[in-house]
Amino acid sequence: MRNMSSTVSTSIWRMLGRALAWLGYALLILPSLIIIPISFGGGQELAFPPKSFSLSLFVQFVNDPSWWGSALKSLVIASATTVLSLLIGLPAAYGLARGSFRGRRVIEACALAPMLVPVIVLGLGVYMHFSTLSLVDTMPGVVLAHTVLVLPFMLVAIGSGLRHTDIALETVARVMGASRLRIFFEVVLPQIKTSVLVGAMFAFLISFDEVVIAYFITGPGTETLPVKMYSAIRWEVSPVLAAVSTLLTILSLLFCLAVMALQPKDDANQ
Amino acid sequence: MIYFLERRFALLLLLPLCMLLLAFFLWPLGVVAWASIYDGGFTPRGYATVVGSGLIRQVAVNTLSISAWATLTSLILGYAIAIHLARLPARKRTPYLVLVMLPFWTSILVKSFAFTVALGTSGIVNQLLGWISGGAWHLEMMFNRIGVIIGMTNYLLPFMVLPIMASLLSQNPSLPLAAKIMGAGPVRIFLRITLPLSLPGVAAGVLMCLTLSLGMYITPALLGGRKDMMLANLIDFYTRQTLDWNVASAIAVALLAVSGVLMLLLTRFQRDRGISHA
Repeated sequence: MRNMSSTVSTSIWRMLGRALAWLGYALLILPSLIIIPISFGGGQELAFPPKSFSLSLFVQFVNDPSWWGSALKSLVIASATTVLSLLIGLPAAYGLARGSFRGRRVIEACALAPMLVPVIVLGLGVYMHFSTLSLVDTMPGVVLAHTVLVLPFMLVAIGSGLRHTDIALETVARVMGASRLRIFFEVVLPQIKTSVLVGAMFAFLISFDEVVIAYFITGPGTETLPVKMYSAIRWEVSPVLAAVSTLLTILSLLFCLAVMALQPKDDANQ
Repeated sequence: MIYFLERRFALLLLLPLCMLLLAFFLWPLGVVAWASIYDGGFTPRGYATVVGSGLIRQVAVNTLSISAWATLTSLILGYAIAIHLARLPARKRTPYLVLVMLPFWTSILVKSFAFTVALGTSGIVNQLLGWISGGAWHLEMMFNRIGVIIGMTNYLLPFMVLPIMASLLSQNPSLPLAAKIMGAGPVRIFLRITLPLSLPGVAAGVLMCLTLSLGMYITPALLGGRKDMMLANLIDFYTRQTLDWNVASAIAVALLAVSGVLMLLLTRFQRDRGISHA
């Protein structure tokens, strides 16, 4: 008798746990799931489920220069941020992984901190700093601020790649007389190329989606897509938002699947 | 001989990084600290306002309460998801992991916009509630606390699920097996073995979510009402609306200090975990 009631209560707990998990999954996926059908509904009224099928919202997006113009700016800024953070992050990650000197931990902590400092604080600081440098409302300004923000992700991604490399190969190459540069490009880089790719994808998407800092330091001339979306949600709730959101969701899904496919199998299990 | 870089060479590789951090990370934070005490002359006004103003105190209380609720809901849902993921065989786990990771990769604006559509008076959630109850149930979820907490939970969940799942997966599977052989029931095994062993992951997830939610800006601005303003929105308000950089910076320093303490706790936890694993 006692056994049976305990089995019953156990299965109730199991069901409760499972129900909570599914509630969680539903909450996670709900935004992506409802935005896509709505964007194909056409019309000026956002309805779910959509009443008809139409591509008119996407046509509106393509025909409105203020929308695709800001998308283009975001694309340029995200690409420049990716390149700059690769140029800075790749040598830095290698130096941190293979160097041993005093202050290494301090540099590492400083480099990872932008990931944890509240973005609003960084945004305020960058805004006041850029005001004195007249970098507000300029593309280079946004790229520099975004590079600081994405570097931690770049360093973590490349650093984890470097931990999986075989240091003996570099030792052998050195003994055989290869130069430092050649060792890096011909021995190290081929081993970490997927990590570098993952880092670059992080950098691109974080910059492309970043809104808080951009909202502080962009003006009419540099309004990025997220800033445009932010004011659109806030002030007008334009139906074009649904089309933009669908495009961005597809982009995110592609990046997410690519990164998960690129991750080494033993990492996923840790 | 083990390959390593000479000190000078390693520092050369790190030079661009250090210059960038100095000029565009540490310097701006320094500017905030400076502006919090200097406004045409040294002044304690910023901090005095932070301590004395009823508005700022109210917003600080809001921020703490919203952050605590969002972290709690994330913990409950996140733990359930983490258990579900950890008990799946590795091959079946991938599609569910995509569900967890997709929001992490999705723009917060897309998610906020989707919630404004889904949670509104005639949104899908209310349609569903009405359909279940035959029109009796209706829940106001937009421009109030509920909307903010739902939006933030959606944003925080991946940060909660991943560390908890990692600590569940790293548990020795023979421990629950041994307990089972000794006659312990599933609830007892969970409460006495699985849960206590997963606490480091829980602590990491909770600290991460608290840090993130204290600085939240977009979600309260788009999904919350006037009473759900958080500190980040207040900083923006003082910077742009009243052009009072002194008070804005003082609030920012206070926010940074609280997040700093949480971050230190987080690194402490992760270091302890690292050592116990090694």
